[in-house]
Amino acid sequence: MEVSRVMNSSETQSRPANSPGTLGSAISRAAGFFGFWLVLTGADTGDLAAGLFAAVAATWASLRLMPAQEWNLHPIKLAKFVLHFLRQSIVAGTDVAMRALDPRLPLRPGFVVYQAHLPPGTKRDTFCAIMSLLPGTLPCGPAEGNGLTIHCLDVTQPVVEQLAAEEALCVQALGGAQRHG
Amino acid sequence: MASFLFGAAGFVLTMVALGLVVILRRPAEVDHMMAAQLLGTGGVAILLLLAAATETPSIVDVALLLALFAAFAAVAFVRSASGQENEV
Amino acid sequence: MNLVLDIFTVSAVSAGALFLLAGTVGLLRFPDPLTRLHALTKVDNLGLGLVVLGLLPQADGPFGALKLVSIWLLVQLSGAIVAQLIAGAVRQRGPHG
Repeated sequence: MEVSRVMNSSETQSRPANSPGTLGSAISRAAGFFGFWLVLTGADTGDLAAGLFAAVAATWASLRLMPAQEWNLHPIKLAKFVLHFLRQSIVAGTDVAMRALDPRLPLRPGFVVYQAHLPPGTKRDTFCAIMSLLPGTLPCGPAEGNGLTIHCLDVTQPVVEQLAAEEALCVQALGGAQRHG
Repeated sequence: MASFLFGAAGFVLTMVALGLVVILRRPAEVDHMMAAQLLGTGGVAILLLLAAATETPSIVDVALLLALFAAFAAVAFVRSASGQENEV
Repeated sequence: MNLVLDIFTVSAVSAGALFLLAGTVGLLRFPDPLTRLHALTKVDNLGLGLVVLGLLPQADGPFGALKLVSIWLLVQLSGAIVAQLIAGAVRQRGPHG
């Protein structure tokens, strides 16, 4: 089951309790949560104290659920990747919408096994989430070995090649298949 | 502008209602799991349109909560329907 | 200026509503649960995204606009995860389970 797999993988990952990365990601996550609070409340000055408390609590919870990890983000590549991803998700939505509205209903559904290069864990889960919004692909659980079972709307498309290209982009933006160190 | 937004909200409401009827009439339980997801996405769209149409910003908060609860509801539904309640 | 923004809102919201229509058509016509899941997640998320994009000029101030965007991001994220969960359930139970 996906949920238990996700949880187990984050449990079993080495938990660097006091590594230098933890403090840095605690600060950046807290800043992110506080910014989100400001957006939600419209920066109402009466709510700032509650917002600080909520940001600290959210940071504690997020560090417990998703321990600090070296992501080694490249800001420019990440920005390019976000733009690429937005364009791809528009293509994906249009593609499925066209197939739905086409009177001939052009579907060739089927499963493809894709050998992922990213190690199991948060980065692979990120890639799976991205993949589920790409045109025509929907990951539905692990396969043998290092594989992922992918459901495709059209198996005549070169799905594996496309996914490999997407994963390479993802690795570039998120910082390598290995943990940085 | 308000009447256009009301119209759009009504159109989306019709689409979501139609989708829900279709989903819930199917026998497979995996189809039923999609109902929570559809209600989440469509409901948020309807509420945001209504918030803009009536110029009531607090409806946006309702949409935010609906998005949050729909996510939890869908996860809980999938897990309970798969008989995995005891496994974490 | 206001007219331009209003035209932008009308076109983006209409496009979003069209995508939501296509999503419902997909739910009606696609032959099995996994293909319907494609329609539900990808098309409906794009529809909601266009509706949010169209409502941005009508939002009150930058904070209102950011709030709309964060709601869309939340729905997008949960959609991406829930779709995988349901797909896993379909694979486990078979399409008629």
